[in-house]
Amino acid sequence: MKSIELLGKGEEMHGRAYIKLSADEIEESIKKLKENGFNHFVMLSCVDWLDKGKFELVYHMWNYEEKEHAMLSVDIDRNNAVMKSMSHLFPQIETYEREIHEMYGIKFEGNNRLTPFLLENWPHDPPMRKDFDSKKFVKQMYESIPFIEGDENEGI
Amino acid sequence: MGLHNGDKMMRYEEWSKLARKASKRSLWMVHFCTGCGAIEMPPVMTSRYDMERFGIASMATPRQADVLLITGYLTVKTLRRVIQVYEQMQSPKYVIAFGSCTINGGMYWDSYNTIKHLEKYIPVDLYIAGCMPRPEGIINAFLELMKLIDEGKARGWERYQKYYDKYKENQRRVFNFEVKEEKEEKEQKREKNEEH
Amino acid sequence: MKEYELFIGPQHPGITGNMMYHLWVDGDTVTKAECNVGYLHRGFEKLMESRLWMQNIPLVCRICVPEPDVNEAAYSMAVEQLMDWEIPDRAKYIRTIVLELARIAAYLMAIGSYAGSIGIYTLPQWSMGDRDYILDIFEQLTGARVYHIYIWPGGVRWDMPAELPRLIEKTLNYIEERLKLYDDVLFENRVFFDRAVGVGKIPCNKAIEWGVTGPNLRACGYGYDVRKLEPYAAYDEIDFDIVSYPDLGKFDAHEAGDVYTRMIIRRLEIEQSIAIIRQALKKMPEGEHILKHPNWLRWKVPEGYAFARVESSKGEFGYFVVSDGGLKPVRVHVRGPSYTHGINVAEKLLQGANIADVSQILFSLDICPPDIER
Repeated sequence: MKSIELLGKGEEMHGRAYIKLSADEIEESIKKLKENGFNHFVMLSCVDWLDKGKFELVYHMWNYEEKEHAMLSVDIDRNNAVMKSMSHLFPQIETYEREIHEMYGIKFEGNNRLTPFLLENWPHDPPMRKDFDSKKFVKQMYESIPFIEGDENEGI
Repeated sequence: MGLHNGDKMMRYEEWSKLARKASKRSLWMVHFCTGCGAIEMPPVMTSRYDMERFGIASMATPRQADVLLITGYLTVKTLRRVIQVYEQMQSPKYVIAFGSCTINGGMYWDSYNTIKHLEKYIPVDLYIAGCMPRPEGIINAFLELMKLIDEGKARGWERYQKYYDKYKENQRRVFNFEVKEEKEEKEQKREKNEEH
Repeated sequence: MKEYELFIGPQHPGITGNMMYHLWVDGDTVTKAECNVGYLHRGFEKLMESRLWMQNIPLVCRICVPEPDVNEAAYSMAVEQLMDWEIPDRAKYIRTIVLELARIAAYLMAIGSYAGSIGIYTLPQWSMGDRDYILDIFEQLTGARVYHIYIWPGGVRWDMPAELPRLIEKTLNYIEERLKLYDDVLFENRVFFDRAVGVGKIPCNKAIEWGVTGPNLRACGYGYDVRKLEPYAAYDEIDFDIVSYPDLGKFDAHEAGDVYTRMIIRRLEIEQSIAIIRQALKKMPEGEHILKHPNWLRWKVPEGYAFARVESSKGEFGYFVVSDGGLKPVRVHVRGPSYTHGINVAEKLLQGANIADVSQILFSLDICPPDIER
């Protein structure tokens, strides 16, 4: 597959190329793939591996001529989650990083638009992490609010 | 309803009966698609399941509307805007809640961002069951609301005025605004109690 | 002139759903725009991590409300990639028919809403009524009008009943006749021409870099369609054309990437979808409609990373599914087409536009807020 040839490593998984890189090589690799036909940036996802103690960021890119999908994967430490921002390469990466910052708590250096995106006034922990228990949160926040007493057809 | 002069009370009751008979035939709804259930509103508004034959039309601003439809689930961010819209409408006003998400949380019962029971934050006059309700069900609900208005039983807006403080306290607990201030107040109270 | 701040807020008939745009306005022109979403955020990805593999299908279809079958198809394709399953032929043809019917319904709704935004109010009344006949077909096939829960990993849930092809043929003939009336009212109308040509142009050399997909990309001159690039269901055995600028059939081509071209492409793709459904009905083979599933309460999907993409009426829908060999998924990430259209592209297109054109530009990009924020 073309992306594996260009970057020199990786394996094929269910018809897609899956390449593991380190945090220093990722910017060069994206630039190299972008110049060689991989000009559509599909999305940026984050996987939380709680037992292994790491976050895995996956950059997806697509080549319209060769019809090939490449997944570039980078590992970050879970307790000190900082990464360099790639928003100067493609403009939509800025929005993906904003969402990952809000949902997982990862800081992206170089992105100055890391403002609240989907949640408003959220003072608790980042909700998509595996140690955020949503059922306990719902019980404590929403179920504990009392119903208003009074008859249904009561008026003034 | 509050006036205790013999003659005046009778005339007020007859007058309000006539007003309700007229207003039930021209309910205008606010154009606000809050959730999933709004996808079944265009078929109800257009020619297939025509709702204009009952006098119901959709209106752009809340100042000119009588009915607020909560079509489905509500997130916390939307609930703030829905309360602003509800408080801008003028009495008498009615609320119809669609779907099972307003009754007990529905499919999103363990989501961190949706509210589970709508009755705690806004007074609701009528619920429609289903996920999502069919257009025939929506029209049936409008007819049921017209019947309730005629009998004088749809009094959600009066309940909101009477229990205003309790509704506001429930709303503030969800919006997280005074989280820091409440914590400081609680700590100060605890220190005062310990001193005593 | 002083600069004013305008909020085109969540309660407004001029925007496509429940989202907010914050505009800075100088006189009649917009100088800056910012998008504010999050009003429909239910936290789907967190919910999907605590449900079994088959329990996720009723959740998944509620991500894109006007066209829910696309989500079921993409999720099922991702799970089939992980399991290395090949679905039977009859299921492929039935999936094609269901996806194309959903596409026609979504295009009719998009055309109707766009016409309402420029003041031609007859068309929404017509197109919503015609779309209802397609929902009747869905009700006979799957049991529900809007959320079908019909496309499962391994095939489809039930087989197609024997009287259905006749009802489908009758509805398609009816829609073909109505398209001529739509041309009279909207597409050959002088008002549409004056308001739409040259407005809201996407610069064509930057379209792919900005992440534009679907009919919006085909209006910029690129003939890319996921159904031809990475065929799924039965699309590799069916003949159809891709409609892109500058070949616009019987309509004249003006500028690339503006509002006029985008709406004309949606109108022409309805005809292509009708042709695809007719071919699929003729060529459908006999056979099984689903593979045998293991017990759902003990179904473990093998380890791996899978990505499946589907062409919806709004653009390219992508699903990234990660599994570690357990009963529940580790991560399901959904990429909606409106994520790039609604935030980055719309903010750049609204700069320098008139206030009267803001509604038109947003409806022509066909932004759907639930798939931005799931």
